[in-house]
Amino acid sequence: MDSLINLVGHFHPLLVHLPIGILLFAILIHWLSKKEKYVSFENIVPFAYLIGALSAILTCISGLALSTNGEYDEKILFYHQWLGILVAVLSITGVYFTKKKKEKYLQWVSAVLFIVITLTGHFGGTLTHGEGYLTKAGLANKTVKTKPTITNAQEAMVYSDIIQPILEEKCYGCHSQIKQKGKLRLDGKEWILKGGEDGIIIHNGNALKSELYKKIILDPVDEKHMPPKGKPQITEKERVLIEWWINTGGYFDKKVKELAQPATLIPILASLQNNSTKSSIIEDVPTNDIKLANQNSLTGLTKLGVTILKVANNSNYLTANFFTVVKTNDTIDNLLKTVSANIVWLKMPGMNFTSSLAGSISFCDSLTKLSIEHSSITDNQLKEFQKLTRLHYLNLVGTNITLKGLLQLKGLYKINELYLGQTSITNKDSLLIQKTFPKAKIIFGNYHTEFLPSDTVILKAPVKK
Amino acid sequence: MSKENKKIIKEATIATTEQITRKYFFKECFSGMGAMALGSMLQGCDWLGNKDSFNNFTNTNPLMARAPHFIGKAKSVIYLHMAGAPSQLELFDFKPDLLKLDGQDCPQSLLEGKKFAFIRGVPKMLGPQAVFKQRGQSGAWISDNLPHLATVADEISFLKAVQTDQFNHGPAQLLMHTGSPRLGRPSIGSWVTYGLGSENSNLPGFVVLTSGGNNPDAGKSVWGNGFLPSVYQGVQCRNEGDPVLFLKDPAGIDRDMRKASIDAINEANQLTYNEFKDPEIVARMAQYEMAFKMQISVPDVMNINDEPAYIHEMYGTQPGKASFANNVLLARKLVEKGVRFVQLFDWGWDSHGTDGSTAVDIGLINKCRSVDKPITALLLDLKQRGLLDETLVVWGGEFGRTPMQENRDGKTLPFKGRDHHTEAFTTWMAGGGIKQGSSFGETDEIGYSAISGKVTAYDMQATILNQLGFDHEKLTYSSQGRQFRLTDVHGRVINEIIA
Repeated sequence: MDSLINLVGHFHPLLVHLPIGILLFAILIHWLSKKEKYVSFENIVPFAYLIGALSAILTCISGLALSTNGEYDEKILFYHQWLGILVAVLSITGVYFTKKKKEKYLQWVSAVLFIVITLTGHFGGTLTHGEGYLTKAGLANKTVKTKPTITNAQEAMVYSDIIQPILEEKCYGCHSQIKQKGKLRLDGKEWILKGGEDGIIIHNGNALKSELYKKIILDPVDEKHMPPKGKPQITEKERVLIEWWINTGGYFDKKVKELAQPATLIPILASLQNNSTKSSIIEDVPTNDIKLANQNSLTGLTKLGVTILKVANNSNYLTANFFTVVKTNDTIDNLLKTVSANIVWLKMPGMNFTSSLAGSISFCDSLTKLSIEHSSITDNQLKEFQKLTRLHYLNLVGTNITLKGLLQLKGLYKINELYLGQTSITNKDSLLIQKTFPKAKIIFGNYHTEFLPSDTVILKAPVKK
Repeated sequence: MSKENKKIIKEATIATTEQITRKYFFKECFSGMGAMALGSMLQGCDWLGNKDSFNNFTNTNPLMARAPHFIGKAKSVIYLHMAGAPSQLELFDFKPDLLKLDGQDCPQSLLEGKKFAFIRGVPKMLGPQAVFKQRGQSGAWISDNLPHLATVADEISFLKAVQTDQFNHGPAQLLMHTGSPRLGRPSIGSWVTYGLGSENSNLPGFVVLTSGGNNPDAGKSVWGNGFLPSVYQGVQCRNEGDPVLFLKDPAGIDRDMRKASIDAINEANQLTYNEFKDPEIVARMAQYEMAFKMQISVPDVMNINDEPAYIHEMYGTQPGKASFANNVLLARKLVEKGVRFVQLFDWGWDSHGTDGSTAVDIGLINKCRSVDKPITALLLDLKQRGLLDETLVVWGGEFGRTPMQENRDGKTLPFKGRDHHTEAFTTWMAGGGIKQGSSFGETDEIGYSAISGKVTAYDMQATILNQLGFDHEKLTYSSQGRQFRLTDVHGRVINEIIA
């Protein structure tokens, strides 16, 4: 019996269009028939009302059948149901008055019917598409909704910042105030804890026993898999997050840092944090805006063999390399000064350093990366770089810099990468250097690969006898 | 303008005027008017969003260094392609359960509806032919076939569930490198050079080095420029002897005279370009210039003889001998000099088991020994030079190998080998802003299919471009009436392995 009711109910969305169309058409021709030009329409008005009334009755029956599954907001359903019945009643009255040719009453009925159909239709729309569907310009608006941004994943609230947005995006469509398929709502703590028609959906501490999670990991072709086929699915990342949330106790009021985090989760949490993949890189380039560098200076430097260009199309900061310039001259040094504020990365491996070049570089107060490996830089010239307070990366591989020379830069506390291979500085001084540059990862190099006897042995296929 | 130049220009002018006959004039008029009409009709057709596209070809210097879309972590890429497809099951994808099934018939469920390159009928399962251990703090599984690489496991991000849809070498290699299994698309190195130009005006932006005795099956198209101007194609260097031929000036011609003649030829070419606007003319001019500059720069950068002894020990290089190790060391030198994309192909990884050299327990081990030390040395050397953070190292083949033993033509082969496998294989990336010591993707308990973290060639390409500062959807080139991009309509940046 239940399945029969269900089947009838499923016809409601189809049938519902008939009374709307036919009755509105009936009203239209009825009104038009009052004009002399269309007076012949009068003959079909009774028939149109009759068919309209019949379809309205069928729609009411199917609608009642559909409402039994209890997936809809009760208040709106109440209005929709009774207005719908009113449509059927009014249309039957309409049929009666057309038969009896009571033109005056029919006018009133048709006017009221018009309003009631409109209202019924609106409530029906609210039931299926959700409240405010009319004013929100369709689906596009729904997706634009910005997710809460997480700046620090460890400080984020597990439920409201991480889990709730997933549920909202993937589940609310059928399990919230608008619809409660399976008598389940997921748009609030109390509803989630209450569960649906099959009972509790979360067994705290065990995702595999929790219906909420089990339905997600069911084979997608399984009828019970959630979200249903064709709807946006839970991604792998979201699945791991939900699993973790339930396994750690399904808390609604805890922060990420308060819960145990398995190793597999850490990259996922990190990915929540930076919506863009570029954020970790930004630190190499200052975040404050800067004016475009002098174009003439850039052209001049390029002509002299310096490769100098923006770090990216969307930035005015510059990167420069001197691969094809072995030794600079006064012109280059001076031009460099004119664009010094913009330069953030500077690469001059093997450069014949002069004190005038070192002086020019010391003007580059935005500089974060300086590669002067294998260059002829001296301790004295290096001293100039004390001013480069933003320096993150310093490559001194293969230079004649001494420990004393390096320690002149002690104010540059931002240095986090320091390359000292093939210099007179060795790792016996690493403690002192680390103290001077507390943030730095110091690389002395001198790496080697081990000699393994197997490296040079070539295996041969056994000879068959 | 010197006297010689004037003479050449005059000749060029005469040649051009000869072309302008009456017939030619009318033909030009008609096609010109047609083009003008079409152009005005199509105005405002910006439905492809061309504003955001990246048309990077400049007439004056196509190899000029250019800025990417956004700030990229990597400045250059070294792509190590093991042509023939190394067996993930003997190197990185440890499947103890497969050992238990060794020698048993392959279940029908794995064969139904599947097509293999050589397997016919019901093959036997083949357990891992290597000893695996977990390495480093990350606990990555690496077999004893790669004892050196095992020491740097914590630098690497593994992709364990790479998939492809091509089970033959040529198409699969093309897919990996050009984003299409068919010929005609530009390779990733060409795209990168088109996008970024060359950082060192004396060297090409994209260099190719091969080893292992053969070129990859897909031929030179895997580093071809496709529809991009040919100035962006990979420059292949010889693997033995002089890396580039004819670097010395011929007898009786000194460098100044060579420069003068190239200038004159280019001037004549410029006139032709002004008239026909064929980008290939600019490409040719740029190549003359580049060849001239390379005469000076190449002997220096391509010479590994002068590297110190400890470097040779580290890489296991033997100067003068064609080897993968030499190529790896060259790659490091090129990247150090600002070359954007160095593509290495090592041939001979096709472990079918038809003879000893293709057996997974003999030939594969020999191949491993030839690359293990150099690759490890490369990572360590880049690191100690402060270059690993800005150099993206990519390792991989074109597909994987089956958990079943190959039974070519339904017969048991004399050696243990595996067939081509498309559904799951391992590649890895390191440096260039990639996470250290991580792994993404999983295969089932016998390594047959990917169960999570699936990625494709397109995803790898999108990730490589992302690390260089490109939005892979916006690095486009207009050809045959539409905007093309490397990843076509596919590709997702694998954020899971990005630091």
